[in-house]
Amino acid sequence: MVTLTIDGVEVSVERGSSILEAAQKAGIGIPTLCHDKRLIAYGACRLCMVEVTARGRTRTMPACFNPARDGMEVATQSPKLTESRRKQLMLLLRSHPLLCPSCDACGDCQLQNLVHEFEILELPFSRETRHFHVDNASHFIRFNMNLCIKCGMCVRICDEIQGENELSFVERGMECEVSTDFGRPLNCEFCGQCATICPVGAISSKWLVGTGREFELKKTNTVCAFCSLGCSLTLGEKAKKVVYVTAPADSPNEGNLCVKGRYGWPYVYSEERLSKPLIRKNGSLQEVDWNEALSFVADRFKNIKAGSGGQSLAALGSDRLTNEEAYVFNRFVRTVLETPHLDRAAGFTYRGLTDGVEPMLGYPAGTNSIREIRDSKVILLVGADLTETHPVAKNEVIVATARHRARVIVIDAIQTKLTYRPGMHLATSPGSEYLILNAMLKWVLDEGRFDKTALALRADGLDELAASLEAYTADKVAELTGVPAALITQAAEEYVNAPTATIVLTQGMNRIGFNVEIAQAAVNLALVTGRIGKSSCGVHIFGEKANSQGAIDMGLGPELLPGFLRISDEASRAKFEKAWDDALPATAGLSAREILSGDGGIKGLYVIAENPVDTYPDRATVQKSLSDLEFLVVQDMFLTSTAKMAHAVLPVASFMEKTGTFTSAERLVQRLHPTFRSPSVKTDLEIFVALAAVMGKPSMTYSGPEQVMNEIAGLVDTYAGISYDRLAEGPIPWPCVDSEDPGKPVLYEGGFPRGKAQLAPAPNPAALAVDDLPFYLVSGILKFHSGSFSQWSPSLMEVCPDGLAEMHRNDLKALDLKEGDTVRLSTGDGASIQLNVSWSRRALQGTVIVPEHSSQVKLNTLLSWAKPVVKVRVEKV
Amino acid sequence: MKERDDILKRKVQKVEVVPPEELAKLDEIIDRYEGRPSYLIPALKDAQEMFGYLPMEVQRKLASGLNIPSSHVYGVVTFYSFFTIEPRGRHTLRLCLGTACYVKGSKDILDIIVKEVGINVGETSEDGRFSLEAVRCLGACGLAPVMLIGEDTHGNMDPKDTTKILEGYQ
Repeated sequence: MVTLTIDGVEVSVERGSSILEAAQKAGIGIPTLCHDKRLIAYGACRLCMVEVTARGRTRTMPACFNPARDGMEVATQSPKLTESRRKQLMLLLRSHPLLCPSCDACGDCQLQNLVHEFEILELPFSRETRHFHVDNASHFIRFNMNLCIKCGMCVRICDEIQGENELSFVERGMECEVSTDFGRPLNCEFCGQCATICPVGAISSKWLVGTGREFELKKTNTVCAFCSLGCSLTLGEKAKKVVYVTAPADSPNEGNLCVKGRYGWPYVYSEERLSKPLIRKNGSLQEVDWNEALSFVADRFKNIKAGSGGQSLAALGSDRLTNEEAYVFNRFVRTVLETPHLDRAAGFTYRGLTDGVEPMLGYPAGTNSIREIRDSKVILLVGADLTETHPVAKNEVIVATARHRARVIVIDAIQTKLTYRPGMHLATSPGSEYLILNAMLKWVLDEGRFDKTALALRADGLDELAASLEAYTADKVAELTGVPAALITQAAEEYVNAPTATIVLTQGMNRIGFNVEIAQAAVNLALVTGRIGKSSCGVHIFGEKANSQGAIDMGLGPELLPGFLRISDEASRAKFEKAWDDALPATAGLSAREILSGDGGIKGLYVIAENPVDTYPDRATVQKSLSDLEFLVVQDMFLTSTAKMAHAVLPVASFMEKTGTFTSAERLVQRLHPTFRSPSVKTDLEIFVALAAVMGKPSMTYSGPEQVMNEIAGLVDTYAGISYDRLAEGPIPWPCVDSEDPGKPVLYEGGFPRGKAQLAPAPNPAALAVDDLPFYLVSGILKFHSGSFSQWSPSLMEVCPDGLAEMHRNDLKALDLKEGDTVRLSTGDGASIQLNVSWSRRALQGTVIVPEHSSQVKLNTLLSWAKPVVKVRVEKV
Repeated sequence: MKERDDILKRKVQKVEVVPPEELAKLDEIIDRYEGRPSYLIPALKDAQEMFGYLPMEVQRKLASGLNIPSSHVYGVVTFYSFFTIEPRGRHTLRLCLGTACYVKGSKDILDIIVKEVGINVGETSEDGRFSLEAVRCLGACGLAPVMLIGEDTHGNMDPKDTTKILEGYQ
C-alpha cells in the first residue's frame, strides 16, 4: 500500500494504482475523456493533468497513467490546471460540430458536460470542418466521424476487452478517423461496446437516433435473460416502451454486454408475441379470455388425475423461470398435480452438475466467480466456445491473455476463436474431451506433481482414482482421440505449473452425452492439483439459460427438492411436506427423456417456457409422444413448434415485465426489476397461483415474489440470508447463511460441506461406437442466437437470419461444394436434414458444424439419446 | 440526415484485383516475418516493392498471415505516406516543397511537371509512367531545389532542365 495526499485528503491505495484511481478512492473527481476503468490508461485527452509535489519539486502530469507513490502531494485544482483544461477543450471544439441540439448523445456527452462545467463561452480558435459521411452501413451501429474526439476508447475496447480488433485509427491528421479496413461495414460480434463507450456521439446505436435521449429515458436496472452469466442491464424506457439497453458501469459485468444482451431484446415487442391465451377448439387454437383458459386447463388436468392418477401427469419446467417461479412451480407440480414427474426440458448440463460435481464437492455449482478468470494464468477450456456461447466471459479470457500473459488450453472439436490466443489447441473428436482430461491427470499422478499430504487432508478416494486411471496413458488416449501424446503432456505440465489455473466447461450446451464424465474429470484434476477453494482457480460451469443454476437450486428435477435435497430422503420430504402442508410423492419421477419417450404412461403434460420439439434429441419420438398426449399445455411467450401442438397455450410476461431473482453461473442471486407491463399480461407465478386456486388448492397462494423469496430463505440453506431488502443493495453469491453473511464468491475456501471432498474414479477408456460415415456432426452455437428468444428478435434475425452448415475449406473442395450450396446431412439411421453450406474457420477437417438454435434447420432430427456422438454423410442436393 | 449523408460523400477508393498466383508470392514475405507482429512495416515495405502498391487482397493476406488484425494493417498503410493503396507510376517523382527548395524555385518545377506530364500532386499519369508526390524536406537543403526520381537524387535543379531530366525516365 502507498499513502498520498490528494487535495489535502490522505488516501492509501495498492501499489501500482494510478493517481486517478487514488483520487477516485478519495472521492475526488478528475475530469477525463479517454479513461475507462476497464481499459489500459492511454493519456490522450490531457484533461486529467494534476500538479504533483514530490521530493520538493512540483510537476504537472497526467493522473491516469502515473502511479501513485508514497508521500506524493497532489493538487487536482489550480488556476493553471483549469486554464490548461479549458484550452484543451477549446482545441477539441475547434473541429467538433456544434450541432448539439440534434445530436443523439446530447445529455449523455462527456464533452458537452465538461464544456459546461468549465464554462467555455467563446471559442478563440478558427474552426475547422471535417467532411466525413455518416456511415449507416453496419448493423446496429452508426459512425459519424465528424464528431470524433479521437480518445481511442472504441479502438481499445474492441482490442483489449472484446479481442475483436475490428476498429482502428486510419489516415492521419484531420483525415484521421476510426474505421475498419477499407471502410467496409462491421463484421464483428456486434457487441455495441464501441457505441456505449464513445464519450461523444461519434459512434452510436442506430436505434437511438431520433428515438430518445438520455434525459428522456426512465431507467430500470435488471438482469439479462439470455445466458447464465447474469449480466446487469439498464433498460431505458420512453413512453412505456423500452427503447435502449445498456449496462451499469458498477455492475458485476462492469458495463460489458454481448450482442444478445444489448440488441437482442426487441423480441419483447415482437408482433408474434402472444397476448391472449389460446385453447384448441374444433382442431384449431383460438383466443379466449384468462378465466376460460384457466378453467379449461384445470378441468382437463383434474379429469386426467381423477381417471388415472397424478402419475399420468408430468411437467417440464425451464431454466428461464425466476427462482421464485421455479420454486412455486415445483410446489405446484408436486402438490397440485400430485406427480413426481418433473424435469427441465433443455439444460442437459444439470446432470453434470448434480451427478458429477455435487457428490464430489458438495454443491452442484461452479466454484468461482467469473471475474476471477482474468487473473488466472492458465485457462483450460473444455468444449467451451465462449466467444459464441458466453461472450462476456470470453472477455475475461481476452483480458487474461492480453494483459496478464495467460495461456489458453482449448480442448474442443471446434477451432474456436480463442484458439488464436496464446496457448494450444487439442483438437479432439467430439465426446472424447474427458479422455484427455483423464490422461492429463494420469500424467500429474505419475509424475507426482501434486501435494499428496495436502490432498489427503482435503479429499478421499485417491487410490481408487489412481487405479481407475491406469489405462489412461498419453499414448493410449492419443490413439483414441487423435491428439498427439506430447501435446497432452505439455497441456498437463502447463496446467500444473501455473500458479493459478481455471477450468471452464459449458458442457451440455451443445452435446448430449458425457456431461457427468467431463465434470468428474475436471473436478478430479482441479482437486488433485489443489485448485479448488482458491481464487482465480476452480471449475466454472456455464449453463445455457438465465437461471440454469437457480432451476437446480429450486429443485426442478425428477429426484430433487429445493436446496439440493432428494425427494427419496424421508427427512427432506418431511421438511417440505410441513412447509407445503401437503403430502409429496415419495419416489423420484421420470426424467425429461423418459417423459418424452412416449412409454412412461404420461397422458397430460405441462410445458413451461420450453420447446422440446426443436431442442430435444430424437425429434420424431418427441413429436410422436407429444401428439399422443391427451392434454398438452404450453406456457410461453411465442407460438413455438411445441405450442402449435398444444391444447392450451398460456402467454406470459417477459423478463422485462416481472419481479424476481435469477441465480447466475457464478451463484450470484440478482433482482429483476420490471418496466411497464400491460395489465392483461400475467407472469408465470401469477398463472401458477391462479391455476392452483382453480384446481382446488387455494392454500397455495402468494402475494408476490418477495413472499416466495422469504419462504425460500426459510427452507433452502444456501439462500437463508437472502432477502429483497439485501438484494436492493447488490447481488449476493450463495451460500449466504444469515442476514449478515456477504455470501461466498469462492466456494470451499474454508473446507467442504461434508468435511472432505470425494475423488471420483474414471470410467474405462474406450473408443466411441460411431457409424462409419465421413463427418462428425458438431452442434454449434452462434453468438447471435440462443434458440428460444433470439429467433423472435427481429434485430438478431437481421444479423444472422439463416442456420448454415459450417465446413472446412478442404472438405468443401473435396465434395465440390461452393458456399451457399444446399446439402443433405444424413445419419446411418436414415434421418436427414437439408441446409445451406458455408465455409468457416471454425470447422476442422472432417467435421460439420450445424447451429442448434434454428427451428428451420431441425438439427435434433439427427441427434439421438442413444448415440451421444453422431457422424453424418454430406451430399450435394 | 439523409441530405447530410449525401453531401458528405466519402472519396471512393479504387480497388484493383490481384490474381491469386500473384498473391502467392506473398508467402515468402509471410514466412520471413511470421510470429513477429512488430515487423509489420518491413513486411509492408517488402510487399510494396513486390507489387508496387498495397491493394486490399495483399493487405488482408499479410494480416492473416502475420496474425495482425486487418483494420490495424490498413491503419498503418494509410498513416504512412510511403505506402500506397493505388498503383503508382513506374517512376515516383518526389519533389521537395520545403522552405529552402521553395525559395530556390521548386514551385516553378512543380508547374512545369503539372503542365508537361499532366498530373497533379498525388496523381499518376495515365500511361503509368510517373507518380508525383510533394514532400516537405528531403534533408538535402544544400542541394535546393531538389527532386527524387525513384532512387535518383537531382539537386541544384534549374526549372528549365526539368523536361530534359524527365525524358531520361521512360
